[in-house]
Amino acid sequence: MRGSRFFPLVSATLLACGEPIRGVVMDDPEPAPALTLTAFDGTRFALENEKGKLVLLYFGYTHCPDVCPTTMGDWARAKRALGERAERVRFVFVSMDPDRDTPELALGYARQFDAAFLGLSGTTEEIEALKKAWSIAAYPEGDPRSRDYTVAHPAHTFVVDRQGRLRVLFPPGVRGEELAADLRKLL
Amino acid sequence: MRNWQRIFGSCCSALVVACGARQDAAPPGSVITVRDAWARSADSGAMTAVYFTLANTGEISDTLAAVASPDAELTEMHISTQHGGMMHMSPVTSLPVPAVDSVMFRPLGAHVMLTRVRKPLAVGDSVSLHLTFVSGQAVEVRAGVRQP
Ligand SMILES: [Cu+2]
Repeated sequence: MRGSRFFPLVSATLLACGEPIRGVVMDDPEPAPALTLTAFDGTRFALENEKGKLVLLYFGYTHCPDVCPTTMGDWARAKRALGERAERVRFVFVSMDPDRDTPELALGYARQFDAAFLGLSGTTEEIEALKKAWSIAAYPEGDPRSRDYTVAHPAHTFVVDRQGRLRVLFPPGVRGEELAADLRKLL
Repeated sequence: MRNWQRIFGSCCSALVVACGARQDAAPPGSVITVRDAWARSADSGAMTAVYFTLANTGEISDTLAAVASPDAELTEMHISTQHGGMMHMSPVTSLPVPAVDSVMFRPLGAHVMLTRVRKPLAVGDSVSLHLTFVSGQAVEVRAGVRQP
């Protein structure tokens, strides 16, 4: 029966921690799609190699003036609140704007929020394939001929659990301390 | 000073000041003040956002009709919205500020967007904004730069 497998786990979490997680929790989490990109420093990031860790993913763009930096700021506060336990969490920003975001820009962008954050970009083909695999959308808005176009992109932080399953979608606006409290329940 | 003010003494003066607009000192129109202004740090040439709270202590509604800044090539009012699981950002041409009310420009909502800032904006720097309202009022804002 769908949903029944993790029901005992979810209710135990509720009992232990008092309040539910502030995001969309998958009842029956499925293995996350593949995500493999090469970072600017030459290291290859492959989601499948991160099992045992919690992976937070945000699909944004570095020219984003409002939502992306707000989310990254909350991630940074969550990481600080987690202290040593943050060693078991990967924070990964993935650009949905490969035309402007080089791997160098993406990495520099992520690191300005926390030195341990990873920022990835890729070729247009790599990002298009990733969008398809993850069933997500992202597209330029405004005048596409202007270099100042903005990008509509997924709102949520995607959380892949320690077994590699897409587990929670956190909406924007979940503050750092709240996010840390919820991540503790997933660690 | 009125007699009842004298009777209540200084402990109530703050209250009297706060309620002034509703007492005999009602201003003829809207009275806009800006507080808690801040801008997000940015590299030179990048985009960034400025946030603040607009308070209208007057008794007539007003509308923010234009934003300008000498610190960027392009200055626009924007609003971030979420629908269908997507984040969008759209320019808006005006924003009402109701009478005796306030409007917050804050992350994930309304912001003044600066495109191609003319200088790097680091913590300790500031940017200037010039806000013009339909009533004709103009307000100068200095927003200190904060870390995202
Ligand atoms: Cu904007």
